[in-house]
Amino acid sequence: MKKLFFQVLFASIFILMLSSCTEEQDFSQIDDLSVTPTLASGIFYLESDEETINSAGGFGTFYAQTVNFDAFNEAYVAERLLEGVIIYEIENTTSKRADISIDFLDESGTPIYQETFTVEANPTETFTREVTYGPGGLSLSILTNTSSFRVTGRNLGDATSTSTHPEPKISLSSAAEFIFRLK
Amino acid sequence: MRGFLKTILIAVFGISSIHAQNRQLLYDFNEIPQALMLNPGMKTSQRWHVGVPVLSGLFFQASTSGVTVNDLFANDGVDFTTKVQERVLDVMTRRDDFGSTSQIDGFNIGFRGKNRPDDYYSFGMYGEMDIISYWPKDLALLAFEGNGGNNIGRSFDLGDLSLRGEMVNVFHFGINRKVSNTLTIGARAKLYSSIFQFQSIKNSGSFRTVEGQNNMYNSIIVADMQLQTSGVKGFYDIIDADTGTTRKDLTSLFTERVLLGGSLGLGFDAGFTHQLNPQTSITGSILDVGFIYNSNDVWNYTFEGATSTEGITVFLPEDIDNVNNDLWQDLVDEIDEALPHGENQSGYISLRPVKAYGSIRYDFGEGGRSWSENCGCAINTGGGSNSDFYRNSVGGQLYMIKRPRGIQAALTGFYQKRLGRTLSLKTTYTVDKYSFTNIGLGLNLQAGPVNFYVLGDNVLSYGNIADSHYASLQFGFNIISWNNN
Repeated sequence: MKKLFFQVLFASIFILMLSSCTEEQDFSQIDDLSVTPTLASGIFYLESDEETINSAGGFGTFYAQTVNFDAFNEAYVAERLLEGVIIYEIENTTSKRADISIDFLDESGTPIYQETFTVEANPTETFTREVTYGPGGLSLSILTNTSSFRVTGRNLGDATSTSTHPEPKISLSSAAEFIFRLK
Repeated sequence: MRGFLKTILIAVFGISSIHAQNRQLLYDFNEIPQALMLNPGMKTSQRWHVGVPVLSGLFFQASTSGVTVNDLFANDGVDFTTKVQERVLDVMTRRDDFGSTSQIDGFNIGFRGKNRPDDYYSFGMYGEMDIISYWPKDLALLAFEGNGGNNIGRSFDLGDLSLRGEMVNVFHFGINRKVSNTLTIGARAKLYSSIFQFQSIKNSGSFRTVEGQNNMYNSIIVADMQLQTSGVKGFYDIIDADTGTTRKDLTSLFTERVLLGGSLGLGFDAGFTHQLNPQTSITGSILDVGFIYNSNDVWNYTFEGATSTEGITVFLPEDIDNVNNDLWQDLVDEIDEALPHGENQSGYISLRPVKAYGSIRYDFGEGGRSWSENCGCAINTGGGSNSDFYRNSVGGQLYMIKRPRGIQAALTGFYQKRLGRTLSLKTTYTVDKYSFTNIGLGLNLQAGPVNFYVLGDNVLSYGNIADSHYASLQFGFNIISWNNN
């Protein structure tokens, strides 16, 4: 009886093994996978002390530079850019009112967009601006066509006054946080 | 990118659905000659055995400690990205792995020494493929979520990348010796002929984006990563050239590597069986203590260095005279220079995945004369000291394997039943990191001199094999003689 029990038991289980199956699988679902990471990076930082601003003279340009910037117009990036924001922060501890402008230039050097900031002398708070690109914001084409920046800093005050701050300076920070479609 | 991701995912799940290493069903299954490959010191009774070429031992095993094929690809109407997020990214850790092993016996022969009947010699050749990849959690999160948003300040561990794989052909020769009525020992020498090998197992470093000292964000990367490959590029180049003789060239290269034409290595197995009393025995073995010196077709890829960036920075008055327009390109070049990715062809040593088994076994239920009664060799037969004399065996087994991130262990309880002289059945219950419900079944059939065995693991998962965390199947045919035939 015991022998019969084991024979039946094992025979049943082996039949089970032989009749193994699997639920329906749909491997084409992988095509629906969406991979959209948010990438963050610092872009540009400009810092100038008050002495340099003074040396440019009253209402003078203390910085003007065109900087190559191909981060967004690389084909791989441009094709995958979905939306995002560029954040600007300006701190000014000098005694000068100042103006900083950033021109977005295409490959031929033609301006396609301009961002301008005017900051008062020694403001109590950090000036912040967030510019959205993509749905609900500016066109992404501005970024994907940008090949360089022209950054200009202008003194809107006199050329002699000095802030009482121990290290008077003006600084522009910028960073980007963008969503890309990798898949 | 789409094709690349698809290839990676299909490869990971495809590999794990085909093949991985615990062979608890075969271990100490004395009636099957291939059990000698797991314990060279196993008790042997046969006079000689010859495995049917290519069919004497086929073994396929797959394991995944995390997500299963069914978790992702079941036709359940759930959005695939949601499944990946909830079933992979949210729950899998860097300890989870996908593993696979397959083994095919080319030939396997054993015979008892004429002048030394206490010795049983065995030799043969088998091919083995073993691949393991740990889940690269932080790298996956970086790819899916990025370094922005909530991940500002998070450190992504580049050391999460850990994988190893190889295909090797093994020539072996073993001696099994009955030292006394209570002790049998054995050892096996192995010559490894590598077909290909790759490993990326000693990676370290991190990538994180934090608040910058000057600019808003500072991205910091420290990397010490390496992928070592041997024998891979040769195959890749043939496929890449696509000359019209691709299949012939691949076969030719494969055959050359199988027959000692690639990187070579040495190793050994050792084991014992000790009879504590007529019904109780303990066994132990250690397998694949060896190495391969990878010197053939070696291509290693390195990524090493450290840097941080806050983007383009201009400080006045220091940079007032710098009228260079290529500040962005300079920045990219600086980062590239700080993080050199190189190639070299330096040979390297890869260690085989060492495995160890141990067991305790209690035999009971005297069944009369043994199936090996006609042996004529007076080895492991007669009296109550022969476990074959008993119809039942019960016991426990411990298995351990050295993996890139430490030792993996499995604990098995087993019951073996012998039904007459022709049929022997074994069932196991195994607990390991892959499954708590692994019940295995094995059958050994002896029809005259013809021996057939089939062993299947985790049979409860057979209802939906795609949902299994662990599956293995092994079977084979042998010709066995216990007498002078």
